[in-house]
Amino acid sequence: MKISFTINGKTQTVEADENTPLLWVIRDGLGLKGTKFGCGKAACGACTVQVDGGAVRSCSYAVKFAQGKSITTIEGLSQGKELHPVQQAWVEEIVPQCGYCQPGFMMATAALLDKIPQPSDDDIDENIVNVCRCGTYYRMRKAIHRAAKIKQS
Amino acid sequence: MHRHLRTCGLSLKACLYQSYYKNYPLTRKYDYMKDNNSVNIKSKPRRRFLIKASIGTAVILGAWAGIAPMRRIVAKKINEIDLEYENSYKPITWFEVKADNTIVLHSPKVEMGQGVFTGMAQIAAEELEVSIAQVQVVNAVSLDRPVDKFATGGSTSIAGLWDVLRELAAQMREMLRNSAANIWNVPAESLTIKNGVVTGKGQQLTYGQIVQKTTEWEVPKEVKLKDKKEYKVIGKAIPRIDLKPKVMGEPIFGLDVSMPGMLYGAVVRPDKIDATFKSADTSQAEKMPGVVKVVLEKDFVGVVAKTYVQAHNAKKAIKVQWKVNRVWQQKDIEDMLKVGEGTDFVIQKKGSAKRALREDGVIEASFSTPIGAHAHLEPNGAVALVEKNKATIKISTQVVNMTREEVAKRLELNTNQVEVQATFLGGGFGRRLHTPNAVQAAVLSKAVGKPVHVFFDRQEEFQNDTFRPPTHHVLRATLNKKGLIHAIEHNVSSGDVAFGSPLTPGYAEILAGADFGAWRGGMIQYEAIPNFRAVSWRVKLPFATSWWRSLGLLANTFAIESFIDELALKAGKDPVQFRLAQIQNDERGQRLKGVIEAAAKKANWGKPVPKGRALGFAASTDANTPVAQVAEVSIDNGRIKVHKVTCAIDPGIVVNPDGVRAQCEGAIIMGISASMFEKMEIKDGAVGPTIYGAYEMALMRDAPKEIDVVLLEGSSKPSGVGEPPLGPIGAAIANAVYQLTNQRLRSLPLTLA
Amino acid sequence: MKINLTHTVWLSLIVLIMSAAVPIIQPSEHLPRLATPHQAFDKMMSVLMHKRCMNCHPSDDRPRQGEDSHVHNFGVQRGKDNHGTLSLRCQTCHQSENNPYSGVPGAPHWGLAPKSMGWQGLSRVAIAKALLDPAKNGDRSLKDIVKHLTEDKLVAWAWNPGVDASGKARETPPVSRQAFIKAVKQWAEAGANIPEK
Repeated sequence: MKISFTINGKTQTVEADENTPLLWVIRDGLGLKGTKFGCGKAACGACTVQVDGGAVRSCSYAVKFAQGKSITTIEGLSQGKELHPVQQAWVEEIVPQCGYCQPGFMMATAALLDKIPQPSDDDIDENIVNVCRCGTYYRMRKAIHRAAKIKQS
Repeated sequence: MHRHLRTCGLSLKACLYQSYYKNYPLTRKYDYMKDNNSVNIKSKPRRRFLIKASIGTAVILGAWAGIAPMRRIVAKKINEIDLEYENSYKPITWFEVKADNTIVLHSPKVEMGQGVFTGMAQIAAEELEVSIAQVQVVNAVSLDRPVDKFATGGSTSIAGLWDVLRELAAQMREMLRNSAANIWNVPAESLTIKNGVVTGKGQQLTYGQIVQKTTEWEVPKEVKLKDKKEYKVIGKAIPRIDLKPKVMGEPIFGLDVSMPGMLYGAVVRPDKIDATFKSADTSQAEKMPGVVKVVLEKDFVGVVAKTYVQAHNAKKAIKVQWKVNRVWQQKDIEDMLKVGEGTDFVIQKKGSAKRALREDGVIEASFSTPIGAHAHLEPNGAVALVEKNKATIKISTQVVNMTREEVAKRLELNTNQVEVQATFLGGGFGRRLHTPNAVQAAVLSKAVGKPVHVFFDRQEEFQNDTFRPPTHHVLRATLNKKGLIHAIEHNVSSGDVAFGSPLTPGYAEILAGADFGAWRGGMIQYEAIPNFRAVSWRVKLPFATSWWRSLGLLANTFAIESFIDELALKAGKDPVQFRLAQIQNDERGQRLKGVIEAAAKKANWGKPVPKGRALGFAASTDANTPVAQVAEVSIDNGRIKVHKVTCAIDPGIVVNPDGVRAQCEGAIIMGISASMFEKMEIKDGAVGPTIYGAYEMALMRDAPKEIDVVLLEGSSKPSGVGEPPLGPIGAAIANAVYQLTNQRLRSLPLTLA
Repeated sequence: MKINLTHTVWLSLIVLIMSAAVPIIQPSEHLPRLATPHQAFDKMMSVLMHKRCMNCHPSDDRPRQGEDSHVHNFGVQRGKDNHGTLSLRCQTCHQSENNPYSGVPGAPHWGLAPKSMGWQGLSRVAIAKALLDPAKNGDRSLKDIVKHLTEDKLVAWAWNPGVDASGKARETPPVSRQAFIKAVKQWAEAGANIPEK
């Protein structure tokens, strides 16, 4: 079926089986490879995007649900060359190691800061439950606090 | 001129290259260089053998030393070797100077998060006299560039490339300086270099310009390497050079590779262990939407479809007959895996521990660790394009060369007809030290004549992992009248790590006697103890076990350092002082002492801690890098909580302090994950769990809020960093838990009674 | 009385015929010929106390999951509105229908029952009492409760729970949805009496 939505500010119409996970439409249909496949079971969070501002794990989201919605992926987080506060903080804290899980974490963090502009450590623990194997959580926590500051200023 | 060069594309780049690999003498011209402004080099540079100790050299020893002691010598050498994974292979690398005065470093090592690209760029920039911004690091491509003949792993990259890279860079710098001197007809000594610009007598040339003006190069016989005091780039906490693509979500990983006309493949993998492929009924799958071809081989069956989802759905419709040799249960494995079962080998021996431990008063304890999964986030996968007499593979792999050889063998091509392009890796951790999935991708591509992308789903990753083997340890010791260790023995029983791996040649198994991956970290490091002994027991398990970041170090250190803590408390001694009192007085000992003292001091060891918390201490030496850690722990609702970890590490010269810190932080968190949560088990012939969450791992909430890393530089050369800090953490936590609860936790994952 | 009894017998017969004709979900189930309100209660509670219901009626702030009702992985929490924390919503992963690719279950308004309706650790009598207690059940009348139990799509999901992450079908409650609906109505019509045990 045909499904239309906005992705990173652009309107798109895609032709796909309605139950195709949004992840594959984004990655293979639209060629936006920043959203990652980690588990396909909504367990790791590497595929996190925003749908109407909320964090959604796109591997477990049938594309039909995206009809008429607004999607943001890591490619749409920055405004042109200007980094999003979350990306800026990620750079300043030198967070990534292998980097594979990072887009999912950054998308989840961006959604968190929209809901909770000054998250406490507990807020972070409760809302950011993606999986990172390199163990960058320690720096991510610092980067999340830093992003909150950058966003406020 | 400039424009002309630019339009010529490749031919513009005059390449300077050098090789330490004996098959690639510098005077030899490669075909691929013919189109370029190839350089003619007058003299061969000296070639240096970097291997100071290796399995190879020990063979000669063996001729007169007798097999058992010789093997112990080998074991000792393996334990202390600088370049553990180097045999007769040498690291090789080359640079390219571009017209715009940037340097492209074609890396023989892959970047999997460990920061090796950044470290290499710093080392090169230092001796090349260019700024870090001028250096670009890319993966060497196997077809026309020399790639590492072995692997990226074992915490050996920076340590192994340290001399090579500096000498190469320094030689190139001098070649460029000499050339500028020739162009200007002035003495080379009169020229100064900064940021890749040579200055002399009021005139300047960039490296890029010099390259364009030079047809004949003079290679200096000797170059003087900089002294540590002169370093401007090495030792600086430069942000890793791959930050930008990683925060922008650029398509840099194997899974992101796309080729025109690319199709998607899926391969059916067994969901039981000890299962081999028998036959398959593909009739249903062939009718599935989007299916291009179902490919039935003698050893596997796969399907190619237009989209990933279609391939995935069709795969589910293939009915495979597996030959399951036996339906295994967890208990079967536990029964096999006991010290005393399988074959044993003494890897370390001093004094007469065996005799001493026959006397009264022996303290004994046993420990165990479970099967561990790699759980790297980017699934294994490969894109293959097989054409007539040519195959191209793009893949996340730690073994470019091995992959190339395996693909060539299966397709019956020459290795030089197979090009393997490594991408950035979404985690390695040893899982990608064998990537035969490239072969399957190539077979599928050949069957359809188009590029095919094949990757594992997550369930397959967990079911078909090459696991960290489970272990069982028995430790025995006696104390002397002074309350120090009189004799100690460590027995470790483990599944294979290095043995059975395609990376380990058969002769190395015979020579080494025991699996040096399994016993890594299993030696007694307190060598002032008069009598000690370490024994490695090998058990063949019915599923694949192999390299997992730090190999045996995690399990062995957990067992030994928990036991040392126990002995210290039995002797009524402070665990830190107890350790310090039994360290030998050589360089290794001094460095170990150094980290133990530094960690204890930084963590305020012996001083009061917040109420409800306790400190635990542990130390290890791995890849010539000693590490000591102090864990500050509490029990919160029956759950162990790690608040803070202090880590002192001595990796010798630190190329990038921030990179070393990042590796320590990551290793500590991965170690917490493995020590406190992770466990694979076998039920009815299948390993599980097969999904994150059910396979419990550390999350944000489990990471310590404070990680304090102290860097010591007790050696004039760098040693390994990626794995050593995984050693102490499990025991450090367990030792703190003992302080809090009087419970001695003897198995991983740590679980309170 | 006589009419009522005849009515019951006929209805039971119809249900019996229907369930025989359409062997839905639970083939092993056999309906009693004569269901008393007490038996109807038994049947209703066997569903309510099944993990498909209980997993989302925790007495604490942690959803449960799986056939073993383990605490939901990743430390997922109830949140203020029973639909997750502010940024980790249930809908981050759970959509309005089951996802056959991921095995993530879904139904409209996926979320936890309010804490006042936490049933874990309670006896079936206590659960039934909570069900009828307006102070706990969100000020619902018996009619509302019957409607919730018999018509709500999230409740109905229990009989269409999809597959788990490994593709294995989730267990359904011990009686069919039709039988459950019937039992709920019968129990309610008979005065919604709660037995002592």
